[in-house]
Amino acid sequence: MSINVFEKRALLGAVGAVAVSLTLIAYATWGMGISVASCIPLGSKPFTEGSFTKHDGKNYEVHFVARMWAFEPNVLHVPTGSTLDIYAVTKDVTHGFEIAGTNVNLMLVPGAVANGRVRFTKPGIYTILCHEFCGRNHQNMNARIEVGDQFADLSVEGLPASEGMKLLDAKGCLACHSVDGSAGVGPTFKGAWGAPLQLTGGGTRTLDSALFVEKIHHPETIAIKDFPPVMPVIPLTDDEIAQIEAYLEGLQK
Amino acid sequence: MELQTNLRRIILAELLVPLALFIFGAYHGVLQTMYLSGVIRATSVAGIDYYQGLTAHGVINAIVLTTFFAVAFGYTVVSQQLQMQVSIAGATFSLVLMLSGAVMAATMIFLGKASVLYTFYPPLMAHPLFYLGLVLFIVGSWIPLLTWIPVYLRWRRENLDQKTPMGVVGIFATFIVWQMATLPVAFEVLVQLLPWSLGWSSGVNVMLSRTLFWFFGHPLVYFWLLPTYVLYYTMLPKLAGGMLFSDFAGRFTFMALILLSCPLGLHHQFADPGISTTSKGVQGVLTLLVVIPSLLTAFTLAASLEYAAHQRGGKGLFGWWNKLPYFNSEVWLFPYLFCGLLIFLFGGITGIINASYSMNNVVHNTAWIPAHFHLTVGGPIFLGILGGSLLIITGLLKKPVVSGTMAMIVPYLWMGGTFIFSSGLFMGGLRGEPRRTNLGLTYMNPTSPAYRPDWWVPAHMGMVGGCIMGLAVLLYFIVLVRSLAAAPVAALSSVPFLLPTSEPYHDENIPAVRNFAPWVVAAVLLCAAAYYVPIHDIVKNGIPTAPGFRPDSPSAVNNAH
Repeated sequence: MSINVFEKRALLGAVGAVAVSLTLIAYATWGMGISVASCIPLGSKPFTEGSFTKHDGKNYEVHFVARMWAFEPNVLHVPTGSTLDIYAVTKDVTHGFEIAGTNVNLMLVPGAVANGRVRFTKPGIYTILCHEFCGRNHQNMNARIEVGDQFADLSVEGLPASEGMKLLDAKGCLACHSVDGSAGVGPTFKGAWGAPLQLTGGGTRTLDSALFVEKIHHPETIAIKDFPPVMPVIPLTDDEIAQIEAYLEGLQK
Repeated sequence: MELQTNLRRIILAELLVPLALFIFGAYHGVLQTMYLSGVIRATSVAGIDYYQGLTAHGVINAIVLTTFFAVAFGYTVVSQQLQMQVSIAGATFSLVLMLSGAVMAATMIFLGKASVLYTFYPPLMAHPLFYLGLVLFIVGSWIPLLTWIPVYLRWRRENLDQKTPMGVVGIFATFIVWQMATLPVAFEVLVQLLPWSLGWSSGVNVMLSRTLFWFFGHPLVYFWLLPTYVLYYTMLPKLAGGMLFSDFAGRFTFMALILLSCPLGLHHQFADPGISTTSKGVQGVLTLLVVIPSLLTAFTLAASLEYAAHQRGGKGLFGWWNKLPYFNSEVWLFPYLFCGLLIFLFGGITGIINASYSMNNVVHNTAWIPAHFHLTVGGPIFLGILGGSLLIITGLLKKPVVSGTMAMIVPYLWMGGTFIFSSGLFMGGLRGEPRRTNLGLTYMNPTSPAYRPDWWVPAHMGMVGGCIMGLAVLLYFIVLVRSLAAAPVAALSSVPFLLPTSEPYHDENIPAVRNFAPWVVAAVLLCAAAYYVPIHDIVKNGIPTAPGFRPDSPSAVNNAH
């Protein structure tokens, strides 16, 4: 017995549908030049700090560094019509790198450099999101690109990180305390310096140097209202504390 | 022939224990849609963190429930259709390994020691017992096929003139795919992750581990799907009151899925660095070939339903549609399969979009992805598991389904919920909404600088859909508990429980689809060809290995001895 005639047509139809799809994909790839993330040999072109360079006209190369839980650089001002060659790496776990509303959608994998290209033809604010789970503050991990005619040249914010910020990062403080006002296990640092803190069981104290030093050395003695009393002792030298304090004082605006 | 008594008990445990765990999985599903829409704006609810609940949701629903169902359903089909005894010792050993593995992994998740999501991508590091639990679970799931093979070979010797029953072909395809797919992930967990989490190795090649994971991760999808295909090919035509339109289509589909399940995992890594566009392109093409058995299945099932409807007096080109038992509580199982098929239409189309190479840039890791797979694993597969479990549980216990009408409503409610849920997440995904992110704290929080008001409507659609899905699950459990509490039906006590089985309408004899061996050999060769280059690229380049990180701290774990 042979295959039913309608079934044969269905099979041919399925083969035809695959052929049409593949043709369209081939056209998108070679005809329109839209491809997926390309391969930079693993271990090559390493960098550990965010930076940018201008090639010519409105062509720029931007290096992003991702870490738990921020991108560096954090804010970019980009003239309309610019083309950005993006290279991105991660310092710790696997992160995602998606510029919402564009075709840039990359995975940042330890030991590898991801790359993509985007041309901004329309002014606006574009969000860069981490879309791969990277730990408890994953939802806070984003950056933005502001595109507009008012920018004559590309400029960035969030570079280079201050000594105080580097310490907060290195000592793990940012695991619980954000610097951008977003929620975490502990209160945010943004706008906290010099401001009153509500204590568990009533009363307030102002976050000043005395309180800060006490909390660092004996965290269990000061419990902040609405936050779990889970802060560990952080071994910091007086110099390091002074650098962090200077950074926190600047986090007012 | 009735199933062996001990086998009946094992099958009941394999169906009921995961369903009990699924209560937590479903609860965290509903809860997530509330976190995502900002209705819940917190890191945790009732002591369970968002990402912890998300891990439980993924591991319980997508791994534990699906695998246990495949094993239980496999035992039922193989012993009934071959009319032969299977090894009880093997079945017991498999159950013990799988149960202890599942309990170990679930305990670590609920203790908050394994909030690494069900993909467990390193260098996020979980507790060693989580990885050990996964290994035990996987190894336990290897045993059934190994014990069925000698039984099947004996059956073939004794029944030289017969075709292998369709259900057995489907179940063997299921577990052959599972065997090929789980070897790489077992390597990943045993050789890479477990020693690393114990501090015996200082780092992991993350690209290798991701590639091994997706070597497993995509065939996992077909492993979920294949038992549902068995339900479709062997039961749906019978339930509709007709016959399977083509015997060849079923056998071809099962063999084609053995061939094509594994060599295409790279389409999950289109956005990864370190893999050449050529390797990605090759596996992209192979992915689209799966369209052929899928469309053939769509045709065959539609033709079988049309035939059944004509038998029931349906007339004309379209007039037969209203003759099918959509709302007949006597055949309450029909809508589980039928609604699943309707959902799968959209799951299939969106899957083609995901696999279409550069188009993936638009949707990769956005809310679009869970929207898609709630129309596959959360659609036909999940409804197949619910319907199939209720059928087998009540069948083995000789109990009535209380009530058929309530059981019949579940799939319709679920379908409505999933369509709303997925429409919302599709829309959000196209606007850049990321998947598995606690949106309520930032992106869906008007006081956050990252607030995205354009995601409000999609996220709330997700929540409305999610709550309806939750209601459907609740209704299902009411039916299940009432059925379990009911007295056995006396009239059934002397009648052996048999799964409904369709007869073929066109029964072609095509030798090419009657032997597993050439398809398995071709599948192994194709896997080797598709994966040699990318794995060689990853390993030869000497990528620096990564130390582990716990999800709650940006400092690397220092546990190396």
